Amino acid sequence: MSSSIDETRLNISNAEEPQGELVGFKCNDCDVVVFGPAKFCQSCTSDNLTSITFGSVGSLYSYTEVKVPPHGWPGEVPYILAEVELPEGPHVLAELINIQHEDIQIGMTLNLALIPVEYGSTGSTKIVYKWSPAQLSD
Amino acid sequence: MNNLKPGREVVVAGVGLHPFGRFRDKPLASLALDSVVAALKDAAVAWKDIQVAYFGHVYYEGMSFGETSLSKLGLTGIPIINVENACSSGSTAFWQAYWGISSGVFDIALAFGAEKVPGGPVSVTSEDSPDRYIGGDHMMAGYALRSRRYMEDTGATPASLAQVTVKARQNASLNPYAHRKDTYSVEEVLNSRMIADPLTLFQCCPTSEGAAAAILCAKEALTSYNIDRKRSINVVAAALTSGNYNGHGSDHSAFSPYRTEPAALQAYEMSGIDPKDVDLVQVHDAATIGELQQLEALHLIPYGEAWSATIEGRTSLTGDIPTNTDGGLLAMGHPFGATGVRMIHETVTQLRDEAGDRQIPDARVGLAECSGAGDVTTVHILTK
Repeated sequence: MSSSIDETRLNISNAEEPQGELVGFKCNDCDVVVFGPAKFCQSCTSDNLTSITFGSVGSLYSYTEVKVPPHGWPGEVPYILAEVELPEGPHVLAELINIQHEDIQIGMTLNLALIPVEYGSTGSTKIVYKWSPAQLSD
Repeated sequence: MNNLKPGREVVVAGVGLHPFGRFRDKPLASLALDSVVAALKDAAVAWKDIQVAYFGHVYYEGMSFGETSLSKLGLTGIPIINVENACSSGSTAFWQAYWGISSGVFDIALAFGAEKVPGGPVSVTSEDSPDRYIGGDHMMAGYALRSRRYMEDTGATPASLAQVTVKARQNASLNPYAHRKDTYSVEEVLNSRMIADPLTLFQCCPTSEGAAAAILCAKEALTSYNIDRKRSINVVAAALTSGNYNGHGSDHSAFSPYRTEPAALQAYEMSGIDPKDVDLVQVHDAATIGELQQLEALHLIPYGEAWSATIEGRTSLTGDIPTNTDGGLLAMGHPFGATGVRMIHETVTQLRDEAGDRQIPDARVGLAECSGAGDVTTVHILTK
């Protein structure tokens, strides 16, 4: 059974499909939203936070085709790295898949895609979040 | 914003540099020591006079590396402090030395940094981190994201980014200490190997080896150490900030290209110096886009105009905002712990009118800005 690559950023509700959503926190004092783990608000330092889940869409803020990957990158090379702005505010970096380089446009709507990836050298898999062009799943 | 209250006036009395490049057969401690000896000689002060030392470095070389390096000069018992603040480690060591003297605790201090950075892409997280599988932890990919967005927002062209490297290499060709002294055309920069588009290899700083050192002294103590007042350079601002909330998340420092601004505003306020009074500037050009965005964040060029200013030659040695006059990270290379002190070395050399063929005429005010992961930014302003 695959698990999330990082449960503090990606909650997996169904590992078979797989299904899940990005998670974070909203500050009850200043309304700032953060992606990922938080015990204190990054903006006002309050500890009055509520955990939230994000929707599965975002808009492409920037991208790059990485030809020389970081050490430990398990995927194909080159790959497209996307910086995506969530409607709630935070930006999320992840691989952009299912698209040709020439079709990428800043501002385009992207969907979250959950992909099992081989993890480490043990043969186990983890579910990693990526971005994919909208409306591919239908 | 912090209310920086300088106490005593502080000067740089001496600087020393070990050449940047690859020195595989020379231990890091020897690089560090050479730069320190050069700085002591430049200031004409003895090691036994130094009251405190701050050492900037990042990669693990054994515990208390600053102490073991300096022990070869003699065991004088002074406080020696190891500083790790990512790419700003050296400039943070300098910042600490400044405040140690300004506050009156010490009269004379050493700030130095040294590093041997391995080749290949630089990441912030450890190799088993989830970010390695998500793909986002790649320093130059972060700069590439900034580049793409900057081009989209401002109309900057790939050639304007490449021109930053062309200029850096021209400056470095006049600097015997530089790692990369050969010059290139815009086309050659654009045609070098792609790392993360639009950034090609020559638009990414080499990961290098090197060391740099500076001796700082209280102005009122100069005579007691027989230091040449005419060659000493005033430190009129020393600002350091870490991350300010920017609403876009904090999982990669590339999210906040204009994080330099708070430190810059503090430095201008502390010194009373206006951006238009700055005669030369060293900025953190780990990639070409870094130089453009830092110049804008420092209020030296209006937002969105640094790329065209670069094409117009305004940032070259003969322009009105000479930038990275020694070649910067792009041509000097980037030994993390040494870089921030290297910028001080170049600023002091220019303000002393000792920069030879790359000398900026009548330079009186120099600014050095250094950035690091964790959103660390230092801004120092020096005057003649």
